[in-house]
Amino acid sequence: MIMKIEREIDQIIERYLPSLSCGEETIDSVLAKHADIRADLRPRLEAAMWLHQVRRSVEPRPGYISSSRKYLVERISSMQPAGLWQRIFRRYSPQRWVFNIAAPVIVLLLLALVINSAVLTARLSIPGEPLYSTKLVLEATRLALTFDPLERTDLHIHYSRERTTEFVELVLEGDYDDLPVAARRLETQINTSLRSLNAIPQDSLVEQHSMTTGFKDTLSSEVLMLNVLKTTSPPSAHAGIQLAINAAQIGMLALR
Amino acid sequence: MPGKLDQDHELIRKAQQGDPCAFGDLYENHAPAIFRYLFAHLDSQMDAEDLTGEVFLKAWQSLPKYTERGVPFLAFLFRIARNALVDHYRQNIRVEAKDPDDMDGYKAEGTVEPVDIVSSKLEHQNILRTISRLRPDYQMVLTLRFISELSPDETAQVMNRSVGAIRVLQHRALAALREVIGKSG
Repeated sequence: MIMKIEREIDQIIERYLPSLSCGEETIDSVLAKHADIRADLRPRLEAAMWLHQVRRSVEPRPGYISSSRKYLVERISSMQPAGLWQRIFRRYSPQRWVFNIAAPVIVLLLLALVINSAVLTARLSIPGEPLYSTKLVLEATRLALTFDPLERTDLHIHYSRERTTEFVELVLEGDYDDLPVAARRLETQINTSLRSLNAIPQDSLVEQHSMTTGFKDTLSSEVLMLNVLKTTSPPSAHAGIQLAINAAQIGMLALR
Repeated sequence: MPGKLDQDHELIRKAQQGDPCAFGDLYENHAPAIFRYLFAHLDSQMDAEDLTGEVFLKAWQSLPKYTERGVPFLAFLFRIARNALVDHYRQNIRVEAKDPDDMDGYKAEGTVEPVDIVSSKLEHQNILRTISRLRPDYQMVLTLRFISELSPDETAQVMNRSVGAIRVLQHRALAALREVIGKSG
């Protein structure tokens, strides 16, 4: 029964509210039509009327809905989930290309440049310089990666020339303290070259002979050059230079 | 009060496929009701406008996951609105007053007379004061039914109750409101 009244009152309110608000009906005229529930209907109808009247104070201001709609549509358009092509395009846009591809390449190139410069500087270094140990490591690495006996021997001979060049540079720069160590290093390298020459297989005798002749000439020139250097250097350098001359001469003797 | 549920179906489908204009139509259909609901609980029109925009943005973001079988769209919007209102109260952030000519990129297209503004503000204060004296569920049912103009079915869906329960609640809420109006003269 209560449920029925509630539904009835709700329907009456819905039916009469528009005509009440425009003055076609009054509360009393509506109540007169529903005299049986008058006591229940009146307060509710009055409350509903009050709500209906004050409703205009919470209406959106004129033009708000249409202008904010435009704004909302623009905003959600910019938030749209990207399609496959858009995603691919965005992935490889010029800016992304720069960051994803060009930047690592540039970094790698710079790194290669730095490493190359370091290797070059190391190759030109002489005993006593910071990168000289790097030079020796690089030489050892190259030797370790050379498996052909002929090439290996050639490399040893090349390094012995390199030791002589370093020795000469030390003398010319007046760095006489390092001369004994450099002479010993030259001696070691000549000995290694000789051992490598002897280890060349029998089937490469022609190459061995050619290398031996070349190495002998090299050592001969070195002895000559070191002797000239000795005559032009101060006495404090003589002992060191003599050690190098001895090493080269021993090598020459061994080759005979 | 015609039911809006059926009209929404096609627009929702298009919006879910990424059509912003269809969502714009949904906005135009439902924003006034959402705005009135929010403004009936807030003392600032700017806050109500900001929250209305926020509700629809959240709805757009949640749209891919939305299924009509679960909750009708209007109920879905009002639930977001109710949560937005709760968050707003919780954060108690007073948004700085903005120049009406420069509100995040849009402008008012109409003009309102100063007398109407004052009158409307007084009425608004009156409604806020009166409704705030009611129980929260009474406030909600009256706001949804008479301010946002939802049908009993729609109100039931928003409040997650049966239509019968909504009628009972509304019956009591109207009586309570009449009493409050009578007391305040």
